[in-house]
Amino acid sequence: MSAWFDGWRRVLAARAIVAGVYAATLLTALPLALTMRGLIEADLGRSAMADRAADGVNYDWWQEFTARATGIGTTLTPSVIGFAATLDNVSSLLDGQRENVAVMAALATYLLVWTFLSGGILDRYARQRPVRAHGFFAASGVFFWRFLRLGLVAGLVYGFLFTYVHGWLFDDLYERMTRDLAVEREAFAWRAGLYLVFAGLLAVATTVFDYARIRTVVEDRRSAIGSLLAALGFIGRHPGRVAGLYLLNALAFLVVMAVWAGVAPGAGGAGLSAWLGFVGSQCFVVARLLVKLQFLASQTALFQRLLAHAGYTAAPAHVWPESPAAESLRT
Amino acid sequence: MPPRAVALAFVVACSSLINAQQGTPSPRNASYTIEARLLPEARSIRGREVIRWRNTSSRPTSELQFHLYWNAWRNADSTWLRERRLAGLYTEPRPDAWSATDVTRLRLRAGFGGAGAWADLTEQQRFIAPDDGNAADRTVMSVALPAAVAPNESVDVEIEWISKIPRPFARTGYVDDYYFIAQWFPKLGVLEDAGWNTHQFHAATEFYSNFGVYDVALTVPAEFVVGASGRETARRTNDDGTVTREFHGEDIHDFAWTASPDYIDLTRRFEHATLPPVDVRLLLQPERRGLAERYFAISNATLRLYGEWFGAYPYGHMTVVDPAFQSGADGMEYPTLLTGRGRWLAPADVQVPEMTTSHEIGHQWWYGLVATNEFEHAWMDEGINTYATARVMDEAFPGNRVEARYFGGFIPWVFDEIPFTRIENDRLAGYRDNAEADIPATPTLRYWPSTATFISYNKTALWLHTLEKHLGWPVMQRALATYFERGRFRHPQPADFFAIVNEVSGRDMTWFFDQVYRGSNVFDYGVQELSSRLKPAPTTVHETSVVVRRYGEATFPVDVVTRFENGEEVRERWDGLDRRVIYTYERESRPVSAWVDPDRVLLLDVNYTNNSRTLAPRASDAGLKWGLKWMVWLQDLMLTYAFFV
Repeated sequence: MSAWFDGWRRVLAARAIVAGVYAATLLTALPLALTMRGLIEADLGRSAMADRAADGVNYDWWQEFTARATGIGTTLTPSVIGFAATLDNVSSLLDGQRENVAVMAALATYLLVWTFLSGGILDRYARQRPVRAHGFFAASGVFFWRFLRLGLVAGLVYGFLFTYVHGWLFDDLYERMTRDLAVEREAFAWRAGLYLVFAGLLAVATTVFDYARIRTVVEDRRSAIGSLLAALGFIGRHPGRVAGLYLLNALAFLVVMAVWAGVAPGAGGAGLSAWLGFVGSQCFVVARLLVKLQFLASQTALFQRLLAHAGYTAAPAHVWPESPAAESLRT
Repeated sequence: MPPRAVALAFVVACSSLINAQQGTPSPRNASYTIEARLLPEARSIRGREVIRWRNTSSRPTSELQFHLYWNAWRNADSTWLRERRLAGLYTEPRPDAWSATDVTRLRLRAGFGGAGAWADLTEQQRFIAPDDGNAADRTVMSVALPAAVAPNESVDVEIEWISKIPRPFARTGYVDDYYFIAQWFPKLGVLEDAGWNTHQFHAATEFYSNFGVYDVALTVPAEFVVGASGRETARRTNDDGTVTREFHGEDIHDFAWTASPDYIDLTRRFEHATLPPVDVRLLLQPERRGLAERYFAISNATLRLYGEWFGAYPYGHMTVVDPAFQSGADGMEYPTLLTGRGRWLAPADVQVPEMTTSHEIGHQWWYGLVATNEFEHAWMDEGINTYATARVMDEAFPGNRVEARYFGGFIPWVFDEIPFTRIENDRLAGYRDNAEADIPATPTLRYWPSTATFISYNKTALWLHTLEKHLGWPVMQRALATYFERGRFRHPQPADFFAIVNEVSGRDMTWFFDQVYRGSNVFDYGVQELSSRLKPAPTTVHETSVVVRRYGEATFPVDVVTRFENGEEVRERWDGLDRRVIYTYERESRPVSAWVDPDRVLLLDVNYTNNSRTLAPRASDAGLKWGLKWMVWLQDLMLTYAFFV
């Protein structure tokens, strides 16, 4: 519990990180969003159908648009409205559905950006003091390649989970367990149970990789395999605390989801209404980012409490490198 | 057989013959007396039937042809499965999914209930494939007769058979201890003046058969609740833990039944000031008991509106079945028995149970009573019914909303801001994507299997709705009521329908039927250009040009409306035949917009976005708003996947 609160303190103390990851989330999505806007405008052209599309929902036009669309245009479905977006995305993740190619490219870019930023984020949370932009990006640069190596292993693990484990659970086991069921809620109970199992496996995997990244940063480890083994060792020695912290963070995530489900804007209108809805949605994005950062911060706090001490990092603080010429000027 | 029984049988047979010729609603030329036993452990049915058949055609016949529908799932080489495979709709069935019907004995006796000897024709069975020559298809059985049956002569046919019940294929089969049994007995084809009309079972078709009286005795385990076509007339408990239930149905052309120990059995009576009462029996799944009132409400609404619009439902009883999960029996019609579509989680604003149930009740008119040939003219049932029940939903249940389902399709989410309108119930979206798939006049069995429904259901509903808008609802209602009245029990043809529309409307609509029924051309009208210029000084007159274009190959007369800033509106009527028309106006006011078909009469127009043009477009407003919304969806997706880093 103290690690959980400590995590929030660390997150809220490093507001620049929150701003930075929000900017990354916004800027990564922006190019495709502009493309989508262009597709919609081109399709509507000078049609008066745009009035209803702007002021509410023009489902007639919408269905024509998606029928004519190719590429990302086909992803403009009613599921983009409000909380349906979250349901849609979580559902497609758990159901192992593939996304549009351009969307997958945006996802890959975003994951790469996070991989880069994670080093600086964890370093900042571990040191618990401002490190300035140069310190942050220096740490990001140092750990990026190590995290890439770790990411390769993670990719193999997640690939195995989504390709083989997911297929076995949902295409094989679920089919066998439910094919003779005549009661829908029993079939759903099976599916929900398998979702929990699969989500649990994902949670275990992400926890291992999270602590591997933490140990890489805090202990300045170079070996991805070594970090993984160290993470497994740490989790194995403190399963209860690790799991308890994870559940607390998951609860925070669910609270954010529940609030969002209640306040998510609908289709709305154009102009000010659209911008207000967008701003409200961005508050939700920031809230999710805070929860994501809390995972990292609280896990770092827990690790330091149990294995090291607050503020401990093995690597020295990154200082702005000064050339001899600059140094001579100063003196 | 004791002499007294022979005499009684003769009297009954003669009276049946007299009734068939005098004053019965239908010809009753194919009546079935069936005894069947459900064998749950073996997932089989053992049956015996006596068919009383009269040759109502103008030609003698030396053979009888029967449908054995369940042989469509006997193996993977049947026509039904071959067509599914060809259309990319095939999934390898489980080993226990297959079915079969095997006739173990077939005997014939001349005359109804005659005292003549039975002729054993069991060895005369042969399978034919009149549609595609597929020797592996065993859904049509031909039996050569020892003597021809002349017009108006009759025979009794006794058949014993055993059928293996399938896991659900086309709405029939079992799951767990739930059974829905349809197309389950050897059924005679239809002998017409041109010969036997006994098509093989195709992936895109349903059924066609003659009217008669059905007396069916079903023996099932005692704990099973049974619903069936017809009314239950008797029930007896047997010593072996089974119960035999007897059902009787008159002037029907098929018989289906369902059995499950889990049904909740409810009955309400539909009553109306001018329509005959109907006992509506609902067989409901326990997990969906909350849907009872919805099922009864839509049943009442459909019986009322169909009765008021087209004609009374004559049978006095109806069984609505809420089918079990994974039974595959959703949304299907049989005489006086139909299946709805319920879900465990069924939001009140998403009227899928209502839409489906209304559709299947509506079938009682077009499929059950008018009884057109669904192998060849499926549109006459499915299309007319889709059109009519869309109107029922629009009138009785206007609060329908669009939904999406997540997490394996189990969790619904309702989009409150997106109404599911009558046009959605006409199924415009599916038609638009498949408008040229087939010419509707093609026999349905020749439609491409994966797009057949978009032509039979969607396109027909849309052109009927267009016709309604063109002629007006009062004319359309009279035309359909006349078609129903004249077509009941008579298996009308498409030409009969078109002739009635022309007659009732007082207009020759052949040009329209040529476009929508005898062709597959696409309708697409649009405003190509709207421009305005101020004429040279000193005048303050604006010269407005409106160019309207026919982009599609099909034609239809359309209105063109131009609106001006001062509120003036000019409406033109264009015959829509040429490729374009240009309207020029000189007004003090600038134009605001131009619309072709602003009242959306032509529902078959595949691109309504291009039907209008404005000088103050708001595409950028719409693009910004929806671009932002989509961006939030993408951000949410990115954050979901960020779980892994």
